[in-house]
Amino acid sequence: MYAVETRSLSKVYRNGLKAVDEISIKIEEGEIFGFLGPNGAGKSTTIMILTTLLKPTSGMAYVAGFDVVTQAKQVRQNIGYVQQDSTVDEYLTGRENLQLQARLNHMPKNSVNERIDEILDLVELSDRQHDAVVTYSGGMRKRLDIVGGLLHRPKILFLDEPTLGLDIQTRYKIWDYIRKIHKEFGMSIFLTTHYMEEADKLCDNISIIDHGKIKVTDSPKSLKNALGNEVVVFEVDSDLKLGDLLSELKKVSLVKDVTAEGYEVTIFSPSGNQVMPKIFEIAGKLGIKIESITLTKPTLDDVFLSYTGRELREESNGYNRKKEREKMRRLRA
Amino acid sequence: MIFSDTYTIFWREMKRYRKSRSGILIRLIQPVIWIIVIGNTFAGTRPLIQSVGFNGSYIEFMAPGVIMLTAIFTSIFGGVNTLWDRRYGFMNKALTSPISRSSIAVGKMLAISLISALQSSLILGIALALGVGISNYLMIIPILLIVIAFSLGFSGISVIVAATAKSQETFWGVINFLGMPLFMLSPALFPLELLPHWLAFIAKLNPVTYSVLLIREMMTGKAQIFSIAVDVAVICGFVAIMIAIASYAFTREVNKPF
Repeated sequence: MYAVETRSLSKVYRNGLKAVDEISIKIEEGEIFGFLGPNGAGKSTTIMILTTLLKPTSGMAYVAGFDVVTQAKQVRQNIGYVQQDSTVDEYLTGRENLQLQARLNHMPKNSVNERIDEILDLVELSDRQHDAVVTYSGGMRKRLDIVGGLLHRPKILFLDEPTLGLDIQTRYKIWDYIRKIHKEFGMSIFLTTHYMEEADKLCDNISIIDHGKIKVTDSPKSLKNALGNEVVVFEVDSDLKLGDLLSELKKVSLVKDVTAEGYEVTIFSPSGNQVMPKIFEIAGKLGIKIESITLTKPTLDDVFLSYTGRELREESNGYNRKKEREKMRRLRA
Repeated sequence: MIFSDTYTIFWREMKRYRKSRSGILIRLIQPVIWIIVIGNTFAGTRPLIQSVGFNGSYIEFMAPGVIMLTAIFTSIFGGVNTLWDRRYGFMNKALTSPISRSSIAVGKMLAISLISALQSSLILGIALALGVGISNYLMIIPILLIVIAFSLGFSGISVIVAATAKSQETFWGVINFLGMPLFMLSPALFPLELLPHWLAFIAKLNPVTYSVLLIREMMTGKAQIFSIAVDVAVICGFVAIMIAIASYAFTREVNKPF
């Protein structure tokens, strides 16, 4: 049995937007699975289907072996869902928030207090547990949100952009907690993010999704290797004969992929050392001057861009909605 | 399980209420103004009221009306946090947990009706302090039970509107449109017997009417078993219907994307 399995899962919204297009994924038990994609790629829609908040238009989805449409209740008994925005109750204390979470998930009463103590300890919130959440920092709220999602020891934990909007120190800390939690409880984790570093650090496998379709699924390591083990980036003095240069470079046997942006050219190759002289040779022939050149290892950013392209995404309503939320949050506080 | 789920939501709402105390006193200002201003403005209508068999002052006549005013507005506004919950994700958290959808709606309604009774009891206290008479202080208990029952039904309207409305603007528009006429079309301020027939007819379709009459009968101690039975039956029927509709409408609405 897979922790999560989908077969040709699709969701078409009423306005005709195909948010999720024939997605098939398999997540093993105990795996940390990363779901990556640009804004509006279909990540949230997929997570909403898997957590039973939305019904798919077609295809099947099983979570913990249960059908998300016909066995929604069983699915809900087996998942924890940590949403992108903080959902803790500000007027309640940290501990009360966890008590609420325990009640919502029908935890047996005799284990609740003990588990809350244990989990507050894990994320170092014990000393602040009796303060109202309204006094917590963003990072503390996020920690509380995350442990709220796993208090009842779900088989599958959904983490939607767990470190969005947090500073880098807090982000590293959250990653530590996620690793610790995973080690301790061994549940499967379905993580969406658009921080490549996050996926690289945490995930066993990742899928890159764009325009509702899965572009690729593999481990971060093999995805990076597939691009070539090395990246050569160089800058030229003019883009006059850039097209010729690119097509010539593509013919070189050790070159796996070539992309250009302005005067900057990026080459993926299993052996950058051997490609570099060839670059000078071809550029020389075409009369192009090379201003600078560097040799690096590919990052998941490179993998991401090579599958999703570089064009900016329409954030159809994402931006305004965020802004509005912020506004309302201030009003309420 | 459904009872403990309902209690879970009720527990959360009450915790939130307890910690947002600033609103409690502010919400009392309006009904107090009603008692003092309207109560004295219409003090001269006493002969009219006596002509239909009410022996007290006008303030004593309208005090049950103001108690109901408090109950109506506390309960009809009470569902607004459903909109916050949907926006801030608490709703999604509850919807992805194994608790049932209707227990979310009913838990909220129960909390609203208890809050409504608390607010109304403060108004009752103020009315008594202003010299409004009550036949027997033990009557306060059944009066508050009526307020709880009535508010439970009325909060259903609020929860339905909040679940259906996608925005605050829609919610407040609909709620303001509903609240005032329901209060006006009742014997809260003026006896039914003196209304034009068509207005009295409409008022008799309004559940507020039965609650006002029942509370007034209890305060004066002139209750008749038959009329009490009718009033109680109407209120209970109203509550049962509202719980059913609210559970259904809420479940249907939250299953749609927000």
